[in-house]
Amino acid sequence: MSLLELDNVHKHASDGPRQRAVLREVCLEVQAGELVVVWGMRRSGRSTLLRVAAGIERPDAGTVRFDGRDLAAHGKRLIGNEIGYCHKGLRFSDGHAALDHAMVGLLSRWVPTATARKRARVALERVGAGHCAERRQSELSSAEAIRVALARTLVLGPRLIVIDEPVNGVELIDRDSILALLRALADEGTAVLASTGESTGLSEADQALVLGGGELRGAPGPELAPVLTLKRDSAQRMSG
Amino acid sequence: MHSPVNWAVLGLIIERPTYAYDLAQRFEHRYGTVLELSNVGHVYTAIRALEARALIEEIPGTREGRQPKPRYQATAAGLAQYREWLIRQAGEDRKRGQLFVLALQALAHEPQPLLEVMAGYEQAWLSEGMRTPITREPEAPPGSTRAFVEKLIDEEKRLAVGAKLEWIEYARTELAKLLAQMRRP
Repeated sequence: MSLLELDNVHKHASDGPRQRAVLREVCLEVQAGELVVVWGMRRSGRSTLLRVAAGIERPDAGTVRFDGRDLAAHGKRLIGNEIGYCHKGLRFSDGHAALDHAMVGLLSRWVPTATARKRARVALERVGAGHCAERRQSELSSAEAIRVALARTLVLGPRLIVIDEPVNGVELIDRDSILALLRALADEGTAVLASTGESTGLSEADQALVLGGGELRGAPGPELAPVLTLKRDSAQRMSG
Repeated sequence: MHSPVNWAVLGLIIERPTYAYDLAQRFEHRYGTVLELSNVGHVYTAIRALEARALIEEIPGTREGRQPKPRYQATAAGLAQYREWLIRQAGEDRKRGQLFVLALQALAHEPQPLLEVMAGYEQAWLSEGMRTPITREPEAPPGSTRAFVEKLIDEEKRLAVGAKLEWIEYARTELAKLLAQMRRP
């Protein structure tokens, strides 16, 4: 059984008065310990796909299962615990430092402050941001901010981390270290589902997929994939 | 001169004047993953072709002794033409891209095979992206030519993958438009 499974997922978005299909018949399986990367152009729906996969948005049709459980029924218990959606854009509260930010999820779960602080420090160290613990948001580089966001997610011990464009806006010199961190987290057993708008993010992924025209297409493994026969209906849809 | 092997051999001689056996070994080490020598004699053929065009010359006195081992060095013309050839590669890359599109035209009357080829082409580029390693601590010492070249090769591959994936998306969109136009009475 896959850790995460999207089965025939559909999702529409309102584009003015028109409805636009963002995800069509999307199927995806993520196994424990896998790094899965979805490449897509702007407005391809890659962020929507990730939010649906993380249970933050519901699909219009189809099923999202985590460890065999339907997110529509069990999502509230899974999101933030077993599924960690990494919010890169979250702002620190005024006057708070990275360590406080990394503790938030634990404190909201009534973990005692001293324990939360200790675990947050461990998480910051794990993602290579131990030196940032006392820094304010304005004192962090873009790469450090992503590391802190990952620590905030990781501290809750998720089995799956979902992260939208982890290297977007990261300086070239730091980019590979973020990718290496995601690869390492996957190798340690935490599955990672990431999106990317640039090919850099595909490096060393276990699955690389393209989202375009609402369809998810991909290479099944790191070796050169054989030419897969397209589903007849997708060809017919294009040819009318 | 069209043979990429000849140009590669010229580059190795420009880098360091040397003899044939060393050239064969360095060729294999440097270009083994992208160019293939048909046999060791291929290096001698390349040396003769380069000498005939006055792009390299034998270093005087190196053919003497009990075991003559002629060494070769690049001429000024060899260096100049090698630089021009490197710059011309921009055009060669573009031609390779054009060749694919022109060849694809053979399937343009049938959407299904065309879409299958596009899907396979996309998967091949995705696989290239997955195979491009994440740059970690360099295997070669920092500041070495090898570390520098490895970084450039990986970045070139990443940029090529990104460009191809965007092109494939564009081609799919345009194909859908074309097919819609063809359906209209």
